[in-house]
Amino acid sequence: MKKQSVRRGLAVAVALGASVALAACSSGSAAPQGAGVSGADYSGPAVTISFWNGWTGGAAPVLVPKLVDQFNKEHKNIVVKNNPLQWGDIAAKMPLAVKAGKGPDVAVAHGDDIATYAAQGLLLKGDDIVKSLGYQASDFPDGLMDAGNYGGTQYGIPWSVTPMGLYVNNDVLKAAGLDPANIPTDKDSYMKALAALKTAGVQGEWVDGYVFTGTFEFESLLWQFGGDLFNDGVTKATFNSDAGVQALTHMTDVIKAGYSPENVAQDGNINALVSSKTAFNWNGVWQTTNTALDKVDWAATAVPQIGTEKAVWSSSTHWMFMNNKGQDKNKTAAAATFVKWMNEHSSGWAETGELPANNKVRNDPALLEKYPNLKPFLDELPYAHYETSAPGISNAMATITTAVNEAVLGKKTPKEALDDAAAKADQLLKQNKAQYGG
Amino acid sequence: MTATNIDRRSRLRRASPRVLLYTALVLIALTIVVPLVWILLTSFKTDFDAISSPANPFPSPFTLEAYKTLASGQQPIFRWFLNSMAAATLQTMIILITASAGAYALARLDFWGKRVVFGAIVSTLLVPPVIFLIPNYLIVQNLGWLDTILAVTVPGAAGAFGIFFLRQFFLGLPSEIEEAARVDGAGDFRIFLQIVLPLSKPALATLAVLSFLGNWNDFLWPIYVLLSPENLTLQPGLSILQGAYSTHYGIIMAGAVIASVPVLILFTLAQRQIVESVASSGVKG
Amino acid sequence: MTLPPRRTSCSSRTKPSTVANLAPIVPALRSPRLRRAGGNRRTGIAYVFLAPFLVLFGVFVLAPAVYGLWISLHNWNPLLPNQPFVGLDNYIQLFTPGSLTSGDFWESMSATGIFTVASVPLLLVVPLAVASLLNQKIKGGTVFRAIFFAPYVLGVAVIGVIWKYLLDPQVGVVNHVLGAFGLPDNTPWTVDVPWAWISLVGVTVWWTLGFNTVILLAGLKGISPELYDAASMDGAGVWKKFTNVTLPGLRPVMMFVTTVTILASANMFGQSYLLTKGGPGNQTRTAIMYIADQGLSQNQMGAASAMSYVLFAFLAVISVINFRLQREKSN
Repeated sequence: MKKQSVRRGLAVAVALGASVALAACSSGSAAPQGAGVSGADYSGPAVTISFWNGWTGGAAPVLVPKLVDQFNKEHKNIVVKNNPLQWGDIAAKMPLAVKAGKGPDVAVAHGDDIATYAAQGLLLKGDDIVKSLGYQASDFPDGLMDAGNYGGTQYGIPWSVTPMGLYVNNDVLKAAGLDPANIPTDKDSYMKALAALKTAGVQGEWVDGYVFTGTFEFESLLWQFGGDLFNDGVTKATFNSDAGVQALTHMTDVIKAGYSPENVAQDGNINALVSSKTAFNWNGVWQTTNTALDKVDWAATAVPQIGTEKAVWSSSTHWMFMNNKGQDKNKTAAAATFVKWMNEHSSGWAETGELPANNKVRNDPALLEKYPNLKPFLDELPYAHYETSAPGISNAMATITTAVNEAVLGKKTPKEALDDAAAKADQLLKQNKAQYGG
Repeated sequence: MTATNIDRRSRLRRASPRVLLYTALVLIALTIVVPLVWILLTSFKTDFDAISSPANPFPSPFTLEAYKTLASGQQPIFRWFLNSMAAATLQTMIILITASAGAYALARLDFWGKRVVFGAIVSTLLVPPVIFLIPNYLIVQNLGWLDTILAVTVPGAAGAFGIFFLRQFFLGLPSEIEEAARVDGAGDFRIFLQIVLPLSKPALATLAVLSFLGNWNDFLWPIYVLLSPENLTLQPGLSILQGAYSTHYGIIMAGAVIASVPVLILFTLAQRQIVESVASSGVKG
Repeated sequence: MTLPPRRTSCSSRTKPSTVANLAPIVPALRSPRLRRAGGNRRTGIAYVFLAPFLVLFGVFVLAPAVYGLWISLHNWNPLLPNQPFVGLDNYIQLFTPGSLTSGDFWESMSATGIFTVASVPLLLVVPLAVASLLNQKIKGGTVFRAIFFAPYVLGVAVIGVIWKYLLDPQVGVVNHVLGAFGLPDNTPWTVDVPWAWISLVGVTVWWTLGFNTVILLAGLKGISPELYDAASMDGAGVWKKFTNVTLPGLRPVMMFVTTVTILASANMFGQSYLLTKGGPGNQTRTAIMYIADQGLSQNQMGAASAMSYVLFAFLAVISVINFRLQREKSN
């Protein structure tokens, strides 16, 4: 505080505020990370727990409150308060909220956020509850348990996976003289279909430069060409490799050839599919519950293989228990009971347009009988790639979207855009390492 | 050529600029009204309709689905409206009370340290609010005010503008009544409450309107200090609604309509007072 | 003269500071005549009156002004156990090409600069023209004035949300209506520059047109009609009257409006946040947007605080220049 007193002359009435400033100076200390979540059922006094999730679209806004109501009815001593927020808002608000003791007791996050939260000391250990649920890594698609693991401790409990697929407007295909039963599966047939659509006056795929869904398409293609986002230790960006340049060049070529309009807005591609202006849209499984598609004769299929191998982007969601400043143990125990209950009632989850992460639940034939649209997405999972997990990774991931945006809008060549982004990402990774360690 | 003919011609000549004038005003008014009406109509569209035929303002079919979805309470937009009303009202009250009392001292009393205090207040008038963003976030967090109405009312009431504005106004009040009251034995509290405040109603009203609008419009700060959906104010709430319902344009526009209609009704009722308060801000003081 | 809170949508305070009016401040500071009512010093009672305000002012204005400076000297990530002192490093980084923050920061500063330069003239000229129209003898002036002012009361989020839809290049009404008239129907209003700038400026004019208009209108009404009559007698035309009577008569009000508008534009946040999300790339991400993101989303509070002080320095210089220019003009 010595340096502060040097600066005393700067303000006239600083004395009034100094006590607050001093108190605030000491605020940075992280909460202990040792605490864990028990797997036992909660039987203590009545508590209200807060639950944050990003399930705001599709059927989730109907289903989640229904499940929460049912849980609340079955548990006299627990009230779960459902707080749906945008995923982006959750990521932006969670850390500071938890530090201030104002975060949720339990939340759902994307796979790439868990390591960050764990490194920031925001999470409680979930090993016990994972054990009591009887979950093994082999119960989930490869790598999913790992995404929720940080420093050898399990913090996240896998819940759902959300791969990308190819959405097709059958009417548009038919009008262009293409057969909806014969949807392209590789680069050749895909480009031919786009060329045929162009002849018929249709721009067959609208390529955008936003997270939803240009970034996801780019990442799918990057993996298809054999590349990866980062090196193994996540110390260096590798998305500007040849594979990355090929991936992004494919996207800009689609635009250059006139198969896609220029300057597509965010969500412009799915809107074009809905209004029958385009035939194909690379989009996430969550669009299967988009009610605007009800009016359209549509189908979904695996994304075509443009590169040298099969690959597709997928995200995942995970349960996690928050280590709020002054976290109430009873609330955490109640939250664990809630998460266990949700896992036991996950069979209906596909109604939200997300695939249950648990293999047993997902591979139950009853699921496809009820939701036949999900079949291609299930079939893709063996070669799905999940987001990179490392503390602070989201800032480096954001540079990818900037690169895709700049290339798609013709501001930079794919290579320039990716190189610039990778240079930036490398700096950010270095900063992340310095701040959060390994 | 008769006199009436001349009259008519000169009237015509005079009329044409007036026609132009009204045409211009009506055109500007239309650029404001038409988009708002279009939004209202879009809020009655289905998602499919909003996406596939944006050029047709009229919903086909007409549906109240969007309003039903919002009323179901997934995003508590009515709550946000009440929160905004409460926050704007509370902040306005804090500003009126603290600024008027402080301004009274600065304008009507002589005291030790007056120039220093006034200098400190005036010097912060020029400081852009972004300076306070991060430290005030930490201060509010340490006070335990995150996610409460205090976070979006109290720090915002600390600005120098209100006290500066009222001081200038109080300086212009005649001192004769005050001196007479003092002779009659009135103390400062009585003079402040019974003489200065009643004489300052127009200035207080102007400050109230500006404070209310300022808080109502606040966007960045509540995005970060309000956390739970039920505690949000309207501006950050609407931004969340946009993200949550990305391509459900009917719902987003219905949200915009719900957020706008009560304000527009209030504005219509009080428009003369509001507009004149703002108008006077540049001239008086 | 007031400095209305406007369109910055940024502050944690009533934004007096965005809205500072230089005109009265300097004379007020210079004036030795601080009134003495009653002639006696009444220090005790004065501080009783001042106390509620001073507590708020101390805690939420003075303390953070110093505290922010302190934060900017640290590598301050509130999620980590330690906030190491780094001296001026955060500032040095900002002025070191190729550093983590400098490229993005100066891109955001230039975005703020572009918006300010593009928006301020329009935000002065258009309202002045509209105010001149309203200043004629017309029927329904109050109604027009209210309509023009109405968008301002809706708030930045409503404005952002509705124009994001209306201006959407693909599903937006604007492009479809233009197309119906045979005009280009694929302008990327919210996606690419320069159109994104046109949209941001246009929407800002649409939103705040009424605000400056009513202030300028009040200024116009304050100009004595006799001055116009005298000018007419001298044979002055419309333009002559405008330059010789209207503009000089409007000077104090114009100075106020100019100052407020420059500061408000320099603090622009909500429009970019909602309409363009800072794109293409990060070209329309304003300084405030970048600072808020770095400080409160990425938790780099030290760097963000340093940036806010650099932005402050820029605004201070501009304010002083603006003030000098205006004063020279009036001399």
